[in-house]
Amino acid sequence: MATNPMTQFEVYSIGPKIQIGNIDISFTNSSLFMVITVALISIFFILSTQKKSLIPGKMQLLAEMIYEFVAKMISDTAGKDARPYFPFILSLFLFVLVANMVGMIPYSFTVTSHIIVTFALAFFIFIGVTIIGFIKHGISYLKLFVPSGVPAVLLPLIVVIEIISYLSRPISLSVRLFANMMAGHTMLKVFGGFVVSLGILGGWLPLGFSVALTGLEILVAFLQAYVFAILTCIYLNDALHLHH
Amino acid sequence: MKDIKDLSKKLEKFIPKDKKEVTKNTSSLGIAMRLSSELVAAVFVASGIGYYLDKWLETKPFLLIVFFFLGAITGILNVVRTSKMINKD
Repeated sequence: MATNPMTQFEVYSIGPKIQIGNIDISFTNSSLFMVITVALISIFFILSTQKKSLIPGKMQLLAEMIYEFVAKMISDTAGKDARPYFPFILSLFLFVLVANMVGMIPYSFTVTSHIIVTFALAFFIFIGVTIIGFIKHGISYLKLFVPSGVPAVLLPLIVVIEIISYLSRPISLSVRLFANMMAGHTMLKVFGGFVVSLGILGGWLPLGFSVALTGLEILVAFLQAYVFAILTCIYLNDALHLHH
Repeated sequence: MKDIKDLSKKLEKFIPKDKKEVTKNTSSLGIAMRLSSELVAAVFVASGIGYYLDKWLETKPFLLIVFFFLGAITGILNVVRTSKMINKD
């Protein structure tokens, strides 16, 4: 048994080694679990929308609940103008949620516990939102960095601060998700290791902790997916409705 | 019939209370995580900008120091803004 709590985050390639130039693009366990995540979501939606009845069955009800949950989240935070972006936010939310939940299964791999994965998601959102902002408002989108009612002396300082604040968005978005997932899974593994090393006499206390932590982790897995999606909505709202 | 009504009344007493508590707990955990990462991210980004500007302009280590403090200011500002937004909801 691997006692090092960090071995669970190791990425290794499975299958043949594929290389283009200097970039290694072989299929890894991380890619495998991303495929599993996407497959699970697709299968769920294909199955649940196959028999469309007026009175929904269990599967259809669940699919409708997810739809309504995300639709309500978007209309509450970003308003009506954000409707066209619903498919993107739904996919994003479900990808993060299912990836987190798949990671909760013992011996599986948590895709979102790697900063490069969460940063890629967050950076894509950041670029997309910036482009949407410039398309909607043109060059006046830069007014986002110049709040009204600031004395001229302070303006250069405020503009620099606003730009830093804007640039820190993808970092805070990605670091939050990655840190939560990694810390949680490391903690679970550490307590699991305590159970083994303390044995039958003292192992009961860490075992209890492990059970409690598993519950907490499932909560965190949902919560982080929710926060990730809702912050995307908030950033989208800033891009769609320029107000300062 | 009466039994069922009694039962649902009894159940009603429990359900809303429980539900409220859960949502309150989850959102406060979410708020705590949001605020902390907001504070840290701004400092990191600003320090990074300072570091690379220093490398580019060969002014080590002044811009790093300046930008570190700017980042700290931004982080605090972000936290204040986020908590204002949360309070509004």
